[in-house]
Amino acid sequence: MILQNLSIKRKLTLITMLTSSLALILSSVSFLIYDLVSFRHLLTQDLMTQAEIIGYNSAGALEFKDEPAATATLSALTAKEDIVTAVLYRPDGKIFAHYFRGSTTLPSYLPSRLQEQGYRYVGGYLEVFHDVTLNGERVGTLFLQSNMRQWSIRARRYASILIIFVLVSGLFAFFVSSRLQGLISNPILHLEDTMRMVSTNKNYAVRAVKSYGDEIGRLIDGFNTMLSEIQQRDTALQSTNGELKTRTQELEEEIFHRKQTQEELLNAKHAAEEANRAKSSFLANMSHELRTPLNAIIGYSEMLEEETRDSGKIENVQDLRKIQASGKHLLSLINDVLDLSKIEAGKMVLHLEAFEVSQVIEEMVTTLQPAAAKNGNSIHVHLADNVNMMRADITKVRQILFNLLSNACKFTDRGTVSVNVEQIKVEDRDWIQFQVRDTGIGISAKQKENLFQEFAQADASIARKYGGTGLGLAITHRFVQLMRGCIWVESEPGQGAVFTVRLPAQVVIETAESAQPESAGKVPAASSETKTGLETILVIDDDPSVRDLMSRFLTKLDFHVVAAANGEEGIRLARQVHPLLITLDVVMPDCDGWTVLNRLKSDSKLAKIPVIMVTIVDNEAMGLDLGASNYLIKPVDRDRLAVLVEKHRITRSTTITDDNPVPLSYVADRPTGSKTAGTRDSRSRRN
Amino acid sequence: MQKILLVEDNEMNRDMLSRRLQRRGYRVVTAEDGEKGLLLARSEAPDLVLMDISLPAMDGWEVTRLLKANQSTRHIPIIALTAHAMVSDREKAIDAGCDDYDTKPVDFGRLSEKIENLLLEKKLS
Repeated sequence: MILQNLSIKRKLTLITMLTSSLALILSSVSFLIYDLVSFRHLLTQDLMTQAEIIGYNSAGALEFKDEPAATATLSALTAKEDIVTAVLYRPDGKIFAHYFRGSTTLPSYLPSRLQEQGYRYVGGYLEVFHDVTLNGERVGTLFLQSNMRQWSIRARRYASILIIFVLVSGLFAFFVSSRLQGLISNPILHLEDTMRMVSTNKNYAVRAVKSYGDEIGRLIDGFNTMLSEIQQRDTALQSTNGELKTRTQELEEEIFHRKQTQEELLNAKHAAEEANRAKSSFLANMSHELRTPLNAIIGYSEMLEEETRDSGKIENVQDLRKIQASGKHLLSLINDVLDLSKIEAGKMVLHLEAFEVSQVIEEMVTTLQPAAAKNGNSIHVHLADNVNMMRADITKVRQILFNLLSNACKFTDRGTVSVNVEQIKVEDRDWIQFQVRDTGIGISAKQKENLFQEFAQADASIARKYGGTGLGLAITHRFVQLMRGCIWVESEPGQGAVFTVRLPAQVVIETAESAQPESAGKVPAASSETKTGLETILVIDDDPSVRDLMSRFLTKLDFHVVAAANGEEGIRLARQVHPLLITLDVVMPDCDGWTVLNRLKSDSKLAKIPVIMVTIVDNEAMGLDLGASNYLIKPVDRDRLAVLVEKHRITRSTTITDDNPVPLSYVADRPTGSKTAGTRDSRSRRN
Repeated sequence: MQKILLVEDNEMNRDMLSRRLQRRGYRVVTAEDGEKGLLLARSEAPDLVLMDISLPAMDGWEVTRLLKANQSTRHIPIIALTAHAMVSDREKAIDAGCDDYDTKPVDFGRLSEKIENLLLEKKLS
């Protein structure tokens, strides 16, 4: 509808005008009708009164049939303009006298017959019948007809006045409502303006002005509240957006940096590998170059010593001996360095042969006798009856014993160095166990940490006092590893030290194939450590390929590997095998790595086992917080993993006195014929 | 008096070893490179050769192979002296036909024993 789309202003004006005009018209018309009706009634009364007067005056004339008198009476009606017809009927209905305004002939219209006394309106005329009586007797009937001219004039005038009045008052209403509609429409229009401004300019800072406290005022209040809320959200959104942008930018930068770092790391890795190769070849070359002049130094001094002795100049012999001894010391250092560089380059090869253990022991004791005598030490050997032949690299066994014995002699003053050798059986495998015990200065827990690492003498003062490169134990450790054996130390400062080396009675060179790990599923869960004599690592990962890779890799590093495909199994296996350490994935179905870690660390029996997280989840802080020892991100850097597990192995083997030094099964399996009980001794001494 | 040919490029080592061998009662002939060693082995007919392996130009392995390939010098025992105590060197020495092997710097006592053993073996055969 057109009306509906009109502006609120027009609508208001229109409604006001229509309402007021309608009310006006209605009231005016009712008044008019009332007036006209009452006026007609007045006219009727008046005509009836006229009829009565004329009837009274004409009664005599009718009685006496005096027609002229009657006509004269009727003619008096000329003064009455309204009355157009007056007729006197005799009782029989015949016309007796008549009067017609403006003509003398009978008008065409006359009532066909006489009516009862009264009035009636017929075709715009008022007709009155009046019975003329004389002394109570009806002598005739008077008929009057009025054209109601006064009434028509009055009605026309009134209608004109009414129309003018309605028009004027309509105009006035229009004027007033135009003025007053603003009270309602202005605030609404203002609100509309404001809304349009907000929606086109997106300016949420604009506010509508509240003029009155009515419903529109409240509407404006509500609108303003809504606006300020939107403004707040908009501001918050904008600041969040800004933050997001900054974050995104930061992330991009971070990624860029990471990529750069990765590249740098890769370069550094290549450089390091190159440097390591260069170092190895440099060491090999250097030791060759150093040997040549040493050859001359040792050779000439030996020759001179012989000649001097022959010529009887004994006083020079001691000095020449010193030159020789220094030369030989230097040579042994160079050899150590060369050995290590060969081990590092992976060039150290085992030469296996069968030999008498007793012979090697004897040989070494003889060799070390002068060193022992120098500090006033005595060497005691105890060889168990069951020790006979072993198959190993004799040179390396010699060197291992030499290193341990010379250390024992070096760090003991006027004490005893005892060597215990026995053959033990652990899970159907024979092991030769060498134990070198001294009563010397001992080793502190802190010194143990780096005991088997290269160039790590217990401390600098020791180097000054006792000499040596600090390579002896590192090489010993490596040799023992090469032959798939193990070495550990038990010691307290001032209490002497016990070094124990356990080598397989039959050393085998493991080829790549034989070094293959058993597949994860087949690994026997329980007592697997004792089976091989190696340290056990528990790998918990749901990905079979990861388990397989880790197993292969760690097996190559001389660990025994037990694998679990989920958290529950992992915890169960950890309780069973009590591994050296655990590698743990995070993203696993059912029981995730965090949960497993938490449970491991809250179990007093398992809490001490170091856990290395190996995962794609980059959340080192979380891992370390939960108690993980280290955090590696997949794909795993194998070199780093190797360093970490090696570190834990060394820590374990050097701090083993804090724990059970030998798995219980070892003690139980020890042949009863053994006359020595090194481990038991060491424990009873501690207790 | 038994004659030993010492092939050694380092002058000091040559001098030192030859003097010590002489003190032990050997006649010592010296060569400072492989070619000369080869010639001397043929002309002097020594009872034993001490062969340094790292020689300039023609190395000790080569000289040993040539000596062992020749009918007239095949019987002469050769002790290889290497600076590298590499296992591969020992195998190489045996492959090349050396009768024994020692590492430098020499332990003179041990070397004398090896010399005596080889000379004794030679005499017995």
